[in-house]
Amino acid sequence: MGLIVKTSARAIIPLIGIFGTYIVAHGHLTPGGGFQGGATIAGAGVLFLVAFGLNEMRKHYNKHLYSALEGLGGLAFLGAAMLGIGTAFFYNTLWHNGPILNGKPGTLLSAGFLPIMNLAVGLKVFTGLVSALVAIAMYRRWKS
Amino acid sequence: MIEPVFFYSALIISVAAFLAILRVLLGPSVPDRVVGVDTLNTLVVAAMVLLGAAYDRTIYIDIAIVYALLSYIGTLIIARYLQGGLE
Repeated sequence: MGLIVKTSARAIIPLIGIFGTYIVAHGHLTPGGGFQGGATIAGAGVLFLVAFGLNEMRKHYNKHLYSALEGLGGLAFLGAAMLGIGTAFFYNTLWHNGPILNGKPGTLLSAGFLPIMNLAVGLKVFTGLVSALVAIAMYRRWKS
Repeated sequence: MIEPVFFYSALIISVAAFLAILRVLLGPSVPDRVVGVDTLNTLVVAAMVLLGAAYDRTIYIDIAIVYALLSYIGTLIIARYLQGGLE
C-alpha cells in the first residue's frame, strides 16, 4: 500500500506485538490470556501482510519454522499439564510445592503452571493464525 | 463508587453510534458503509473507556486499546480490498 500506511505499520506492528505479549503474560491477572493475546499478535502479522504485500511476507515467513513452533506450543501445554502427573493429570504442582511461579497471588510469578500454559497457547494461536492467513493469501491466482 | 456522569456520556456516545449504524444501513455506496463502520469503531472505543471509568475498573481500558488497534487493521483490510485486492 502507500507510504503512509507502510510507515505507520512500521510504528504500529511493534506496539501490537508488545501489547499482545503483555496480554499473554498477564493472562492470570487481567482479562485476556493465551488465545486473546495470540490473536492480537496475529493481528500484527495481518497488518504486515496487508501493508507490505505478499512478496515481502514471503521473504520473512518460514513455513517449517511456524509449523514447528505451533507443535512446540501444544507440546509445552501438555508438558505443563504433565508436571504433576504423580498426583493427577493437570495437578498444579508448581503452585503447591514448586520451585518457581508460586509467589503471592496477584503478582506476576504466581498461579503455578498457568503462565506457562498461557505462553504455550499464545505461541500456538499466533503461529497457527499467521500460517493459515499466509496460506490463504498465497493460495492461487484468481483464474484457476 | 459508580459515577453517574460517565453513564450519561456513554449514553450520548451510544446515540452517536446509533446514527453511525444508520449510515451503515442506509449508505448508498460501499465506501459510505466503510466510513460508517470506522466511525462506529472509534465510538465503541470511546464508550469502552467511559464505561471502564463508570464501573471503576482500570483493566477494562486494555480491551479498548486492543479494540482500537484491531479496528484499524480491519478498516485497512477493507480499504485494500476496495482499491484492488492483494496483488
